Amino acid sequence: MFARIQKGLSTNLGHRYERVIAVLKEHWFTYLLFLPTLLYLVFIVWAPFIRGIWMSLHIWPAFGVPEWDGIQNYTYLLGWDPFFTSVRATAIYMTMTILQLILALGASLAARNLSRFDNIVDGIFLIPYTMPPVVTGTVWLYILHPNSGPLMGWLLDSGILSEPIFWRTDGTLSISVLTLVGAWTFWQLGYLIFAASISGIPDEHYETARVYGASRIQQFLKVTMPHLKGAFIIVVSLRIVRNLIKVSQPLQMTQGGPGFDTSVLGILLYRFTLNQRAYGLAFAVGFIMFLLAIGATFLFIREFRRGQMEASA
Amino acid sequence: MSAKNPSLGDRFWDFASYSFIFFLIASIVGPYSIVVFSSFKSRQEIFGSLNLIPTAPTLEPWMAAFDALGGPLLNSLMIATGTAALSLLITIPGAYVFGRKEFPGKEYAFYAIISALLFPHLILVVPIGAWWLEYGLYNTIPGLWIAYQAFVTPMAIWVLRDFFEGLPDNIEEAARVYGCSQFEAFLRVVLPLSAPAIAAVGFLSFLSGWNDFLFANLLTNNTGPQTATVALFNTVNSGEQILWSRMMAAVIIVGVPPLVLYLISRRYLGNAFSVS
Repeated sequence: MFARIQKGLSTNLGHRYERVIAVLKEHWFTYLLFLPTLLYLVFIVWAPFIRGIWMSLHIWPAFGVPEWDGIQNYTYLLGWDPFFTSVRATAIYMTMTILQLILALGASLAARNLSRFDNIVDGIFLIPYTMPPVVTGTVWLYILHPNSGPLMGWLLDSGILSEPIFWRTDGTLSISVLTLVGAWTFWQLGYLIFAASISGIPDEHYETARVYGASRIQQFLKVTMPHLKGAFIIVVSLRIVRNLIKVSQPLQMTQGGPGFDTSVLGILLYRFTLNQRAYGLAFAVGFIMFLLAIGATFLFIREFRRGQMEASA
Repeated sequence: MSAKNPSLGDRFWDFASYSFIFFLIASIVGPYSIVVFSSFKSRQEIFGSLNLIPTAPTLEPWMAAFDALGGPLLNSLMIATGTAALSLLITIPGAYVFGRKEFPGKEYAFYAIISALLFPHLILVVPIGAWWLEYGLYNTIPGLWIAYQAFVTPMAIWVLRDFFEGLPDNIEEAARVYGCSQFEAFLRVVLPLSAPAIAAVGFLSFLSGWNDFLFANLLTNNTGPQTATVALFNTVNSGEQILWSRMMAAVIIVGVPPLVLYLISRRYLGNAFSVS
């Protein structure tokens, strides 16, 4: 009986092996073309990620021998006050997602009515978004600089302010400024996606709505909004992840200070990596960021699947 | 009200949307005109006067900025070019397969790409940094080429896949009828048709590499190849007094190349995320 099972198993394996060979024979060219992407995913994304989790369980210096530490990095973070300052800063900073959505939606709806200059308007919209965040950070650092920036100078000169606002030394003001500048810089991703989606709405839908006497608001609610639902979810999930990992622009404007008041999680990771060379601790922060980003990924995948099913139906 | 007098309601919404566009444009043109005018101010004027427009414009800030940024700009150019080239090597075949082929396992491969697209790639800088130190890629330009793929490639595959998918259904079969092999059909029919889109995606990857600060700063130190963004960061955060006119010239020099590349490639990139 044992032999029979063994024989069955081996023919089963044999069939399976043959099937794999057949699939490979049929699709070898496709798999060959996919190979660089697979290697990329394995070696540049997954392997470092898994190694990072391993590192976060150690005291991991830049040079020298790593030392097993269990979950001490995580318990250290959870008992460390600046970590919660950082979480608070991140929570405030993430509200720029809402501002970006409002600006993106407004811009794409308004630009739809443009019959002339639409290319120029589009180009101007994209200026902040396409430049390095360090550059846009420098621009606003200068404009808002308490001593040498033009804005404070004009406000003082016209008597609106009696003394300059030293926003960089005030935690709440700093994080608010960073949030507004982040909204100003990064709303264009949503605009690009919404605008592409809106241009795909057939004019007849609006004409029909008008024939039935729908007002502009009703047209927006009944025609535009349902059409934008998918784009909306895609924009929200992309923006959540991208806003979560912003470092260079806030870093350029405040260096994460005063104290840890503007050290969003990304900046906390940066500080651990660069200043303390504590790689294990840095990735512990990174892993927490990963957990925060996962929800957005599922949202995106679900929406994408729904879109695909509708397209194939 | 709109039913009684539709043109009035329409006019109100037109006014509202033009006002909103005006507000957005002002919010961008305003700050950037300060930047441009400030970059032509002399040392006395940048610190001593409140004029928007310089009374005695000078090119000195621009010369000084070019002088200071020469090496870093060259580094950024090499790093971004290599990043784009490597990314295209991975992306073109991968995106082609996703856009035009059916194969067992495609669904899983696709989710792998999507999750890479939404992966908080910033956190990879820690393990990659540790590896680069171990394997001698720290402080090297090829080290940055490889590391940048972490965030450049998923986006490039996504955009290019969309383009490949949109090509006519039967071009490969047509090529096969004329005696091309699978590979020749890809190389001699699909690739030439896709040249503009591939260039656009190359530009996009270039500007992602050019714009990055974080990886560049954490994977090199002051003895390695310093990029333009790192140079800007170091100048501002050196603790010395910042000569803002020079800084504003530098900001334009570093910021304009990616803007121009994006606007050139814009029309090939816009629809990759559009969903109905």
